[in-house]
Amino acid sequence: MLETRNLDKSFGAVHVTRRVSLKLERGERRVILGPNGAGKTTLFNQLVGELTPDSGRVHLAGEDVTALPVAKRARQGLSRSYQKNTLFDGLTVEENLGLAAAIYTGNATRIWSDSLGKAEVREIVRDVANQVDLMPFLHAKVSEISYGVRRQLEVGVALATRPLVLLMDEPTSGVGPEMAKGFHDLLNNLPRDLTLLIIEHDMDLAFDVADTITVLNYGEVVFDGLPDAARGSDLLKEIYLGSWEDA
Amino acid sequence: MFRHTPLRYAALVLLASAALFQAFTAQYFGLEILTEILILAMLVLALDMVAGFGGMVSLCHGALMGVGAYGYAVLSTTAGLTPPVAMGAAVAITAGLSWIIGAICSRSHGIYFIMATLAFGQMAYSYVFEAPIFGGDDGLGGIERLDLSVVGIDLNDTRTFALFCLVALAAMYGLAVVILRSGLGRSFSGVMHNEQRMRALGLTVWRVKADVFGLSGMIAGVAGVLAAQHIMYISPGLMAWTVSGEALVVVILGGLGTLVGPLVGAAVFVVLKHELSSLTTHWHLIVGVILIGVVMSRANGIFGFIEDFVAARSKSANTNPKAREGTKDA
Ligand SMILES: Nc1ncnc2c1ncn2[C@@H]1O[C@H](COP(=O)(O)OP(=O)(O)OP(=O)(O)O)[C@@H](O)[C@H]1O
Ligand SMILES: [Mg+2]
Repeated sequence: MLETRNLDKSFGAVHVTRRVSLKLERGERRVILGPNGAGKTTLFNQLVGELTPDSGRVHLAGEDVTALPVAKRARQGLSRSYQKNTLFDGLTVEENLGLAAAIYTGNATRIWSDSLGKAEVREIVRDVANQVDLMPFLHAKVSEISYGVRRQLEVGVALATRPLVLLMDEPTSGVGPEMAKGFHDLLNNLPRDLTLLIIEHDMDLAFDVADTITVLNYGEVVFDGLPDAARGSDLLKEIYLGSWEDA
Repeated sequence: MFRHTPLRYAALVLLASAALFQAFTAQYFGLEILTEILILAMLVLALDMVAGFGGMVSLCHGALMGVGAYGYAVLSTTAGLTPPVAMGAAVAITAGLSWIIGAICSRSHGIYFIMATLAFGQMAYSYVFEAPIFGGDDGLGGIERLDLSVVGIDLNDTRTFALFCLVALAAMYGLAVVILRSGLGRSFSGVMHNEQRMRALGLTVWRVKADVFGLSGMIAGVAGVLAAQHIMYISPGLMAWTVSGEALVVVILGGLGTLVGPLVGAAVFVVLKHELSSLTTHWHLIVGVILIGVVMSRANGIFGFIEDFVAARSKSANTNPKAREGTKDA
């Protein structure tokens, strides 16, 4: 469903992505682990097209999308949420989801009709609000909801484009362990055919949702396999727990 | 996205009543001022659409209005088209041109966007200034107004023409509201707030900007056609960048992104101009001081100030009376 081949990226002398090759099957749920600065977000930026890799290819649903601009990739089914909330602050939760759903349904460029009034848009908004537990907040403005709920909305907006592949950059960053656990339950209830790639800082939480695990360190894939193997890996403990304890 | 609040409805009713009152009671000079206000209001409405709701601070809207005016003048005189056809064509040309400008400038932001639009405006200005077909420095005269005698309306009558402009302004206001409240308008505001995210959600951002800019240019084009018919003579001064600058001043004076505010701003600006210029030749100075005052007050223009004031009043009226007594005691 999503595949990278030898992605490579440097910022000046800093080599942040080193020949990264990944392969996600349809419906696979993969968690990316790695210490701060390992290049996780930079990898996401290259997957969605916000950054151009120095070399290597990105394939989405069997098609080479490396040269496609961000919006085109998104319309082909690639969606992402951000590590730092990237919401429409003055708008309500419903309007935030509606903006995304309007793009997916082709209502975002209509001149004579309001996208939010469309049945198809409303249906997506309702579905997504149920999926990420936003029903009680639909009419609240972003500025009126708590940080944790905003994190849910951040993922909700990405989901409202009905993607084939959803990339989530630390969806639970900054929320307490209790809420993070609840959030992972929500993720577990997402449709099984949706392919998920999740950056997660907390290893235990990662094991809640992961079918497979990739570990990045200094921009390099140092582990790629099943959660059980990851749990037992000494290499991973060394890299990951080392930095975890610093943090 | 644009919302009508009770206060905005009230302001619209008040403005429309004042305009109608003026249109039916004023003498020649008063009617001329009214028409000037209505045409300026249409231009700043177009500008607020893009600047206030999409962050596209254009310094070429005056020139776009000029394109509408010159387009109509040339098509209806030199080219010999009938006024309705010339009007339609002039407005369509302005819309098309501004769509192209919007598309080209859509990638630039902030000061770069302002400069890019200014450059387009200046190109249009110097072209009109040099090209013989546009009458160069001398401008073009002998422009006719729309002939509505079939329905018994004589637009050569000053009062009737003022009313005609009022109807046209109301129609353009309605159009602007429909556009801003549409799927396109929502996306446009979404782009202003967070262009990166809209793109990541799959929106072709430049298209949305170009479309709204084109529609805004269309409204500016209508204002241009009316301006040409109003004065029945046009000169390159109409396309000078200062016209765009003045339009921006009016938008900010009235209240950026409120749609109603710029209409208020247009009325205040034109009335001030006429009142002050009869008193002193330095009226620009006084308008400047007022503008600085408005900007320094940190309110969003005159209308933004009124909105804040009303919001604060209704808030204090809503707080429970006991709490208020408490503060009084303390
Ligand atoms: N635009 C940029 N220009 C220069 N260096 C950058 C840029 N973006 C990221 N970097 C650097 O690349 C490295 C990887 O950053 P990245 O944000 O991908 O890490 P990360 O794994 O997401 O870390 P975190 O867990 O803190 O989010 C860091 O050293 C960072 O400073
Ligand atoms: Mg990161």
